Amino acid sequence: MIIVKVGGSEGIDYDAVCDDIAQLVSAGQRLILVHGGSSLTNEVSEALGHPPQFITSPSGYTSRLTDKRTLEIFQMVYCGQMNKGIVERLQMRGVNAIGLSGMDGRLWQGKRKKAIKAIENGRTRVIRDNYTGTVDEVNCGLLETLLDAGYVPVLTPPAISLEGEGINVDGDRASAATAAALKASDLLILSNIPGVLSNFPDESSLVRTINLSDIDDASENFAEGRMRIKLLGAKEAIEAGVQRVVIGDARGANPISRALAGEGTVIS
Amino acid sequence: MNTTECPECGGEVIMAANVIVGEIIECSDCGVELEITSLSPLSIELAPEVEEDWGE
Repeated sequence: MIIVKVGGSEGIDYDAVCDDIAQLVSAGQRLILVHGGSSLTNEVSEALGHPPQFITSPSGYTSRLTDKRTLEIFQMVYCGQMNKGIVERLQMRGVNAIGLSGMDGRLWQGKRKKAIKAIENGRTRVIRDNYTGTVDEVNCGLLETLLDAGYVPVLTPPAISLEGEGINVDGDRASAATAAALKASDLLILSNIPGVLSNFPDESSLVRTINLSDIDDASENFAEGRMRIKLLGAKEAIEAGVQRVVIGDARGANPISRALAGEGTVIS
Repeated sequence: MNTTECPECGGEVIMAANVIVGEIIECSDCGVELEITSLSPLSIELAPEVEEDWGE
């Protein structure tokens, strides 16, 4: 079983991703796809007159300020256009894909963070109108039922809170939680760079392997922005029993097969 | 400059005149984190214990 997370950044070729999935599934590979949608969400937010706002936590992590209206736009993009666009591509290639969000069937359940801290113009403040959280539980029963029946799940944030509210969650960490819960052999995190770069954005500075014991150092020394979250997700997955995480490139042909062959940054 | 009393230790909390609602400041006596919950009248409470936000 493999879990594949493909980011929503610009430059991702979803036709190539789906071609590869179709090939792997027809060869018998059990697979779940998780996708993002951040770039398109930014565009749609601007078009709807509710431009995206990003906040920085005291430790330097950047994330989308997700008030109620932002969550609605997020759902339109992630659950709507992105998710159904991928399901359509897969169905056209003979893959019986089923698109679900973490909210559906409580696939991804977690606590909503009712208060978070953010740094703005050098000041720290509390933000309360924020619909974000982390995935604490994965509905393995539902996923296994779908997989056993021959479906290929295509999953997306948002997740669902204990109280039933939609919550924005990090897709890489949600993928890691899914891989861990289902005891996947591999978690592939694919985006628009070759892997972890020791000298971002120089793509020739690809770090080919990282041992579990070195992840914290790698994160501190040369990971920036969302890559730090990807490395955190990788660490969580491996500590929970996933054998290998590959952070690789979703651009170009056969991105999943190439990652399975070790192209990218292999973490174990 | 505004001043008020720390709800934790009773010490004097001094803050800039341009603080905003929701801002976190620290009591210089006991170091506890405080949240400004209102400006008129000025009021502060212990800041909530919160985690980092790593939404998508």
